[in-house]
Amino acid sequence: MSYWAKMRGASQSPPGVGLAEILWSWLGAFLGIAAVAYVNQRWLAGTDLLLIIGSFGASAVLIYGAVKSPLAQPRNLLGGHLISAAIGVACYQWLGQVPWLAAALAVATAIAAMHASKTLHPPGGASALIAVIGGPQIHALGFFYVLVPVGLGAAIMLAVALLVNNLAPHRRYPEFWL
Amino acid sequence: MPQPPPRQPQDPQIDEQDILRAMREIPGYLDITPEDFRQVYARAYAHALERVRRGLPAERVMTREAAAVAVDTPLTEVARIMAQRRVSGVPVLQGGRVVGLISEKDFLDAMGAQGGRHFMEVVAQCLGQGPCLAAPLRAATAGELMSAPAVVAGPETSTSEIAEIMGQKGINRVPVVDSQGRLLGIVSRADLLRAGGPA
Repeated sequence: MSYWAKMRGASQSPPGVGLAEILWSWLGAFLGIAAVAYVNQRWLAGTDLLLIIGSFGASAVLIYGAVKSPLAQPRNLLGGHLISAAIGVACYQWLGQVPWLAAALAVATAIAAMHASKTLHPPGGASALIAVIGGPQIHALGFFYVLVPVGLGAAIMLAVALLVNNLAPHRRYPEFWL
Repeated sequence: MPQPPPRQPQDPQIDEQDILRAMREIPGYLDITPEDFRQVYARAYAHALERVRRGLPAERVMTREAAAVAVDTPLTEVARIMAQRRVSGVPVLQGGRVVGLISEKDFLDAMGAQGGRHFMEVVAQCLGQGPCLAAPLRAATAGELMSAPAVVAGPETSTSEIAEIMGQKGINRVPVVDSQGRLLGIVSRADLLRAGGPA
């Protein structure tokens, strides 16, 4: 297939989902983000810590909205976030003086590492990026960022995914653990 | 992008509409495009065909503890054993090794005095006033009547190879022997059918 012909696309969009699926996705995402945001507000407000970061919004799409996807499985959710977060912090600490380079290196390396470890989870790229561009509060955490907010937040979202997704008659989660 | 697998006549004829319909029947969001699925399916189908074509090893489908006779077994005894075990052929052993095979067809050939090779021909002659065609066989032994050398297979010989041998040689059963020629079992057409392989 020629270079330009490839841009036309070769297949079509998969079918949309039914109303029940939409509602279960909504409920899972609501409860998952609520859990993380509530803990953040109730116990961490006024401290130097935080629990909620932007990449969890993206994780919610996958683990509550596309529960069958390989990208949404626990191995990918936890592995992808943890590996990417560590890479993001390392890039910031090493190249923080050159923010554009640190940011690009963090995301690109995070994707490569997730691929290599079979933990590809798109929101991991955001977790890596946030480690670089997240501002002073994030930077002050150092590598603790990998555990809180990233590790703990992802673990809470995972717990909600296990509890809520399996309530739905036509859903089961996960497809695999490791 | 990987090249699509070559189209073959036995390719599953499913199109994108079939796949979309199937995807709609499965609740939940499937993170795959119909075209990706078609490629996975076509390749998986080709692998399945290849696996079936290759078949199973003989030892997986053969009948163990197969009936067998010795070269010096009298034919009356051979016939009795075949009747008792309800088989239409038995391997003939000498010193534990398979040296030949005796089948109903060998009996019929020997009894078909008029050159007939059909069971009903023998029946017709016996019902008539002719002499009993089996009489001359009374004193003979398995070794005198057997077809030799025996066509045999090893335990690893595939069912597809055995099916081909049966077709080529016009036989209905193939003894399975170890490297010393000792009988391990026998594969009949019925065994091949049961295995679901090509028969």
